[in-house]
Amino acid sequence: MPAIAVHPDRNFKYWLLTPAIFLLLLVGLFPLIYSLIVSFMRIDMMDTDTSFAGLYNYANLFKDSRLWWSLAHTLLITAIALPIELLLGLAMAYLFLEKMPGRQIFIALLVLPTIISPIVAGATWRLLFDNKYGPINQILGWFAGERVNALWTINPTLVYPAIIFCEIWQWTPFMFLILLAALSNVDKSQTEAAEIDGARFWRSFRYIVLPAIWPVMAIAILIRGLDLFRIFDIIWALTQGGPGTKTETISIYAYVQGFKQFETSYTAAIAFLVIAILTIVCTWAIRRMGLAK
Amino acid sequence: MSDLKITNLHKHYGAFHAVKGIDLDVPSGEFTVLVGPSGCGKSTLLRTIAGLEEASSGKVEIGGRDVTWARPRDRDIAMVFQNYALYPYLNVKENIAFGLRARKFASAEVEKRVARAAEMLGIGHLLQRFPRELSGGQRQRVAIGRAIVRDAILYLFDEPLSNLDAQLRDDMRVEIKRLHQELGRTMIYVTHDQIEAMTLADRIVLLRDGVIEQLGAPLDLFERPSTRFVAGFLGSPKMNFLNATLSPDGVTLADGTKLSLPGRKTSKAGQAVILGLRPQHIAMAGKTVAPGHERVPVTIELVQPTGSRVQVTMPLGGTSIVAELAAHDVSRPGEKTHIDIDMTRAVIIDPTTEKVI
Repeated sequence: MPAIAVHPDRNFKYWLLTPAIFLLLLVGLFPLIYSLIVSFMRIDMMDTDTSFAGLYNYANLFKDSRLWWSLAHTLLITAIALPIELLLGLAMAYLFLEKMPGRQIFIALLVLPTIISPIVAGATWRLLFDNKYGPINQILGWFAGERVNALWTINPTLVYPAIIFCEIWQWTPFMFLILLAALSNVDKSQTEAAEIDGARFWRSFRYIVLPAIWPVMAIAILIRGLDLFRIFDIIWALTQGGPGTKTETISIYAYVQGFKQFETSYTAAIAFLVIAILTIVCTWAIRRMGLAK
Repeated sequence: MSDLKITNLHKHYGAFHAVKGIDLDVPSGEFTVLVGPSGCGKSTLLRTIAGLEEASSGKVEIGGRDVTWARPRDRDIAMVFQNYALYPYLNVKENIAFGLRARKFASAEVEKRVARAAEMLGIGHLLQRFPRELSGGQRQRVAIGRAIVRDAILYLFDEPLSNLDAQLRDDMRVEIKRLHQELGRTMIYVTHDQIEAMTLADRIVLLRDGVIEQLGAPLDLFERPSTRFVAGFLGSPKMNFLNATLSPDGVTLADGTKLSLPGRKTSKAGQAVILGLRPQHIAMAGKTVAPGHERVPVTIELVQPTGSRVQVTMPLGGTSIVAELAAHDVSRPGEKTHIDIDMTRAVIIDPTTEKVI
């Protein structure tokens, strides 16, 4: 009679996982804790004194108006770009819900901006927006009938529209694609029944379509909201936060403090402020949107 | 007055011609059943009446109004869908009330109508539940409730019972028939099930490949089919078809069996025809041969009891035929016996045109 195979040690699988867990701790948890420690120290380029400073850096955060302005800029961009991306994406998804010839090709073309690296997109738009050689001013000039010399990346009143436009241009397709997938899954006979019942677009959307796409839409809003809060590349490529600090977002400010001014400890404190804000907002949003269920 | 009038209606899907010139007039209060095999265009026709599909050409009038190009919501219709199409995020009450609220009914009126519809369908205790908490039969009732709560001119049913199990289907069929009698509304009902068609319809519209094959009262179609297709489609078990040749006083089957055709004279002796015999018109040989009947000897091949009746397969005229006999008439295969065929109800079909002669 053949021997029954001996059951291997039940804990063996945990041993197999150990290296991966160790690696994760090393690259994930260690920097987090280390930067937390750094944020309580006095590390910068000017001084050799690196002693513990207690809450000194955190206290400075509250006195730093440039920080709060950068936070305000970030929120402004998010508050304008996110709803526009959502509504535009939804409208486009509705348009492409109908079967039509060439639909797949159009969808593929529309999604192109999203697959471009944001820094490349920003650099390209900077060229397009160039006041002397950029085609945008030239095209506007044709309509105006005279030479247009709009300083898109310098003029304080034009710079936000320019940034938000690029942001919307790049990320609306993302919303579009996700919402198109969600809309395609809505049972067509339900909207047909609503149509026969006499419901107009809004009632049908409110009671049938929106509840059906909401889980997907909420996640898309959350992902894009977080992305927008961390916005960096496209603005860095367009304006580097300028003119002055007019378009400096929280990420750009942290970058400048950390890698231009080398205020290492202070930057760590900024990073923890951002983590705290995002954790609170995310937790609230996940509860509020009913995603935790 | 007719509640629905369709004139020369066509529907193309690209190269596919789904509905080919339908003319139909449905009088007020009639229960009309559109029946046919899958792909015959019956659902397309219903969806075109509803406005969910656009007509390629032709005219649709509902309640005397040309609605060919009207939106579904402006056609004054109510519809029950095959998959129920209940609104999953609204409870039963709001599902039923949805159409009334969309049409801005006063909330007291909504309450009254929902309560009445729920009572009629016996779903009063389910009003606070959500569709996912209901069984198939309950969902179907809610879907019907959603339709009857409104005063539409036309009530459309798109295979409403096809997702239910057999027992429930029978119950709901009775329910729908009762509703029609109580409400007296004009109803158009699509099904592929010939039993549903026969039991429910005031009038059957039998469709095939996008055209009306025959139209009339259920018994008319059953007893006087105009084509081989109609004869074969209605009735269960199916009508038997035998190749035969006309003779001056009857027909001769492929194996030489001669059967008379009482009351029918033919001048086309020698013409090849198809003889159609319903299983119900074949009986076990009695003491005497009834007038108009033909007695033939047979050997039983297969016996399928259904409880009250028994379906018996036997060779005749070079093919196998099915007879529906009384439950205890035959007991086992191989039995040699005689059957009486009621030739007065036999159908003679021209094999080239497939039309009944």
